Amino acid sequence: MSGLIPIVLLGTLILIFSGRLLMQWSRRSHTPVVTIEDYSQARAALDSVFAETAAIKRIFASEDMEFISQAGTGDVQRFFLKERKTLAIQWVRMTQKQVADLMDLHLKLASYTYDPSPRSEIKLTVNYLCFILASNGLLILLRLFGPFEAVRIVAYTVRAQEYFCSEFSLRLEKIDPVKLSSARQSGSV
Amino acid sequence: MGTNLIWLSAVGLEAIILCRGVKAALLRKYPLFYAYVICVFLIELLRFSCHEFAPNFYQAFYWHTELVTIVTSYAVIVEIFGGSLRHNPAVTRLARTSMLVVFVLTGTYVASDMLHGGFASLPRVTAELGRDLRYVEGALLLVMLWLFGRYRISFGRNLLGLAIGYSLLVGLDVIDLAFLFLPGNEFSIALRKSLPITYVITLSIWCSGLWSFQPEPLPPAENAIDRDYALLAARTRAALAHLSTRVGRTLRP
Repeated sequence: MSGLIPIVLLGTLILIFSGRLLMQWSRRSHTPVVTIEDYSQARAALDSVFAETAAIKRIFASEDMEFISQAGTGDVQRFFLKERKTLAIQWVRMTQKQVADLMDLHLKLASYTYDPSPRSEIKLTVNYLCFILASNGLLILLRLFGPFEAVRIVAYTVRAQEYFCSEFSLRLEKIDPVKLSSARQSGSV
Repeated sequence: MGTNLIWLSAVGLEAIILCRGVKAALLRKYPLFYAYVICVFLIELLRFSCHEFAPNFYQAFYWHTELVTIVTSYAVIVEIFGGSLRHNPAVTRLARTSMLVVFVLTGTYVASDMLHGGFASLPRVTAELGRDLRYVEGALLLVMLWLFGRYRISFGRNLLGLAIGYSLLVGLDVIDLAFLFLPGNEFSIALRKSLPITYVITLSIWCSGLWSFQPEPLPPAENAIDRDYALLAARTRAALAHLSTRVGRTLRP
């Protein structure tokens, strides 16, 4: 009976994925085409992500909290904690969205590369799943304990974000521009 | 009467698929798929004759021919794989590696299952081998479908019909075979009865998808001047974006 579950799951997943394939085909006219403009915009977005990362680390800096604890009153401390918590949650959500967008573009561009590596693709997928898990865990920790108690997981999230950016940068380096269409042209991806 | 009607519909649809394949010149485009349909068509005719003239021999004959059907259906996987990833060398390489890993893993699972189960009568062994081959086929198909979705591989109508029909057939057959080998499972009996109808639906999907030739979506082609211009423009835009970010950062208080 225990052997039955994986087999039934296999059959069910085949049916679900074929349904998804059909949906993907029916939506092909609504799917935006990957253009040469996307190529350049992605690179610009990447630069801003790198610049923001350094500033974001400051949200979780424990020195600020230590300073407020020494110099401020109870009200100031509460206000400071509330502000930082809101900011931190906003940052995590924004990071999740940015990485999801980059991943989406990365997958669309995957077939336009010169030198694909299955190993790096699998590594990227595993890292992406870990990132989703860690960033959602971080959201829970931030809500429960505030921004200064989740430093280790924040460090992981920032490292993961940097990893995705550098991976994505490598992908852009390897793109075959011959296969990219300009925005004027239409086609499917 | 109902069973015979389903049977005859299946044979009729297979004949239509073959006729349309010849008329729409799809036979040369998807030779492996049509070889599979010819094989199934001949097996159906042989089964029908066996059922009519030698009913005692039918059960053993069914499982032997079922094994042949399952082995030849691997040709459809190869056809879908080759047709869909022709213009995506990056994904092809990844798919090959993933499918090899899945093949080895499922093959090992199936082999160990067979060794533990021992060897019974010849029809039973044939049936179990057919079931295990179907499981491996299902695992390979699942990897392929996952990759198609993940990398947004584009399909033409012909290939899509082929893939959807095949997935429906394999997906339901895998579930059915899992229940069939559980003794006294009533769900399997119901599922087994619905399987011929599923097969007719699959054939109808193939018939509709492969009714006429539909061109596959090709990667956009550009001439050399356009290509060079686009590349130059992209580089300029990237440089400008980079510069504006730097300027913005410098001007920030």
